[in-house]
Amino acid sequence: MKFGYVSCLPETPLITRFVEELNNGRLMGTKCEKCGAKYLPPRAHCKCGSADIKWYEAPRRGKILTYTPVVVPPESMSKYAPYMVAVVKLEDKTRLLAQLTGVTLNMLRVGMLVQVITRRVGADRIAYEFKLV
Amino acid sequence: MTQKVGIAGIGHAKFGKRTDATLRELAHEAVTRALEDAKINVKDIDASVIGVACEEFAAQVSPAVLVHDYVGMGNKPVFRAEAACATGSAAIQAAWSLVKAGLADVVLVVGAETMTHLGTLKATDVIARAGDTRWEYPFGTTFPSFYAMMANAHMHQYGTTREQLSMVSVKNHMYGAMNPYAHIQKAITLEEAMKSSMICYPLNLYDCCLISDGAAAVVLANEEKAKKISDTPIWLTGLGAASDTMMISERETLTELRATKIAVEKAYGMAGITSREVDVAVVHDCFTIAEIMAYEDLGFCKKGKGGKFIEEKQSYIGGKTPVNTDGGLKSKGHPLGATGVSMTIEITKQLRGEAGKRQVNGAEIGLSHNVGQIGQYCFVHIYSR
Repeated sequence: MKFGYVSCLPETPLITRFVEELNNGRLMGTKCEKCGAKYLPPRAHCKCGSADIKWYEAPRRGKILTYTPVVVPPESMSKYAPYMVAVVKLEDKTRLLAQLTGVTLNMLRVGMLVQVITRRVGADRIAYEFKLV
Repeated sequence: MTQKVGIAGIGHAKFGKRTDATLRELAHEAVTRALEDAKINVKDIDASVIGVACEEFAAQVSPAVLVHDYVGMGNKPVFRAEAACATGSAAIQAAWSLVKAGLADVVLVVGAETMTHLGTLKATDVIARAGDTRWEYPFGTTFPSFYAMMANAHMHQYGTTREQLSMVSVKNHMYGAMNPYAHIQKAITLEEAMKSSMICYPLNLYDCCLISDGAAAVVLANEEKAKKISDTPIWLTGLGAASDTMMISERETLTELRATKIAVEKAYGMAGITSREVDVAVVHDCFTIAEIMAYEDLGFCKKGKGGKFIEEKQSYIGGKTPVNTDGGLKSKGHPLGATGVSMTIEITKQLRGEAGKRQVNGAEIGLSHNVGQIGQYCFVHIYSR
């Protein structure tokens, strides 16, 4: 299983683990055991330099910080356009970017509540996305 | 080590869809003009710093050597600078450092890019991969979409309007129409700007800069050589640089570019000036919202008042701080590597008093502001006569 609508990087242990968890309905980030910094999406190393990281399950609810409909997509995304992308602040204050589905531009406002869900985006592809609560 | 570093020559190639030239010929066009302007020979130059942002656009790995060799630099040292859309300004800061450190007396800086041959969708795809390819690109983010999200956040927080965004475009097209090197030399009306096709709400076609081919070159020299070469050397008196998180989702605020604020503070401090003393500025208007945020982040107006600043025409010649008198990226075009060098050329012309119809009368202090990506890179330069 690969991550995202399109990808150009190899499947490393970190992304493989993340995708497995996502496929089982869990959104996982990493936390630094040394300084406590949380990362969602996950990182194998902390920005403090430590590689001592632990997986944690991230909250699924948050508020829209901003959004935009992509009308002119990258060539690789042509068959999916138009689509909405958004940045959301989750309940634990981490921020996440993903597509926001099932909406039209007119109904969206900054601050609306959303839920993060798992979404199969092709036979062998998976992603997380936002849905209005 | 105490010598100043000055601009002793400038040369601009025509920006546009240049099917008549590849990277090497475009660079040659700019370099020839810079050498003519400085009235020196290529043999008088000690080293080059070449700014080309992207191999895929150049269709050439190691594009800097190609340019360096083609313009006749022979066995002299060559360095390549890369900082996405701020590549040209990174090249200038690197060249400044070479001169300041005494490793070279006279350095040629060339910025060049060929982009139009890829077409819009493919070029959008290449640029989209300047977003994090693990966690952003897989969702279909584009550079217009990043700036559109910042524009939506700015409109929500400060009440900035779609109309104010379009006003930036109208101004930059007006000045671009007076710039013979600009990609699109055509004035537009507010109505035309507002009615153009949507790219990523709230940004439409006229809110977005152009995909262009182009090149620009400057000769930097230490104080002694700059005075010998040029009757009107322009001095680089303040330089600032900063960066920010790779992913936009990690930013605490989406209504400013923190790298701009940090870089400009350093540059003002080094030059010993404040924003009030800037007579003319060129800022990174890859999208209209970027120019509005630049007014605020550079201190030309208060945070959140950038929309008002353009509405009151404070960034026109005759206003508080004239901005993008060359047409900006919006109308002049944005061949990535060439843009920062082109900015330096416009300020040099303004301070020399050679900007013609676009001249800001009596300009003595200028500023250039060049952003890479969405503030992952930022370079600010202060110039004086």
